[in-house]
Amino acid sequence: MSARVAVMVFPGTNSEEETQRACLAAGLEAELVHWSWALDRARAFDAYVLPGGFAYEDRVRAGAIAAHDRLMQPVREAAAAGKPVLGICNGAQILLEAGLVPALDGATDRPQAAFARNAPLGKYRSTHVYVKLALPPEASALTAGFEAHAVLPAWASHGEGRLAAADAVLERLEREARLAFVYCDANGNVSPAVVPNGSALGAAGLINGPGNVLALMPHAERDAWTYMHGGAAREAARGDAAAMLAPSGGIALFRGLARALGAGR
Amino acid sequence: MIRCVEITLSIPDNEAETAAETLARLGLPGTALVRGDLYRLDVEAAGEGPDLLDALRRIEPLFNPNKHVLRERGTQPEAGEVWIHEIAHGAAPADGPVRIAGRTLPGVRRIERFTVWRLGDAAGAPAADDIVVRATETLLCNPAFQVATTR
Repeated sequence: MSARVAVMVFPGTNSEEETQRACLAAGLEAELVHWSWALDRARAFDAYVLPGGFAYEDRVRAGAIAAHDRLMQPVREAAAAGKPVLGICNGAQILLEAGLVPALDGATDRPQAAFARNAPLGKYRSTHVYVKLALPPEASALTAGFEAHAVLPAWASHGEGRLAAADAVLERLEREARLAFVYCDANGNVSPAVVPNGSALGAAGLINGPGNVLALMPHAERDAWTYMHGGAAREAARGDAAAMLAPSGGIALFRGLARALGAGR
Repeated sequence: MIRCVEITLSIPDNEAETAAETLARLGLPGTALVRGDLYRLDVEAAGEGPDLLDALRRIEPLFNPNKHVLRERGTQPEAGEVWIHEIAHGAAPADGPVRIAGRTLPGVRRIERFTVWRLGDAAGAPAADDIVVRATETLLCNPAFQVATTR
């Protein structure tokens, strides 16, 4: 059985094709849904993925304008109905600005946290990273097929990826299990040295209470095949086309989405 | 001594236009918006003269005479205005406390950067305080890492 996934495209989104490709490789039917679509047509999906980029040029703040775009109405409805919603990078920023994550007291239209300007230098950074599942896998339908403490490779590629929130909110994120992924090294070790942006709690991803809305800053879809990988596996695959085109660890995120929808391979 | 300098675009501001359209969608139609970069400068004697404004005008990443207007202004928000300032949350600001676009300025002890949003009605008058508050809460400020100051 397949499932239909909407890959949302706002003006300025730039990672929709690789995100769609990763969804397709995971066995999902993935369609690009542009901002001009009629809302009824945009509602006819089983899940929603908000890809990376610079929606509306990040005007006002990263994700702030897109969070109030009319196309977010089907996303809000889907989140409320328990359908999977995944935001990657700019998509993650949009979900936080929209109040859909962490939604500590349920969904709201006001942000409770933000992925703010990187620290310490405040500059854009592109670097290969690893993230570790910080929740019990069963806490979210999206990660239910993961092993405990699963480590995924990805590419951090952002200027605003530092989790920022009031101390009381940060404390609740930990206590109420909203911290979905933290930065780590290839072996799953967590330390400040592996956090590329000064993110509070070492956070790479947050989730809502029911576990169906996940906001992840690094791009797992950019490490979905070995030729994209930033670690040793790509070097080992040199000269071997089949190995180079083999799936890499980032594809697990999209297989998790497929599993949540009872679809995929 | 505190001095405030505001730099605004003299050409159409796409960001302000988009923000105004979004505010209209959020129930605040007809709000005219002007956006500016505001620098609050704590200066000692050497920074009290007109040379400071000239020094700012020479910082090209900050000021382009073909598309910007630079002016000294009051040190508090005026009617219709909200000033947005980022909370560091332990992160060092990009320019540090005494640097602006990577440069120091003569006689300046400390620099704070704000985004100023000036809201007006269709007739050009400053927006009412409750409109400013609603615009701030719904769009212009994310309280997770920003502070909004109104008059």
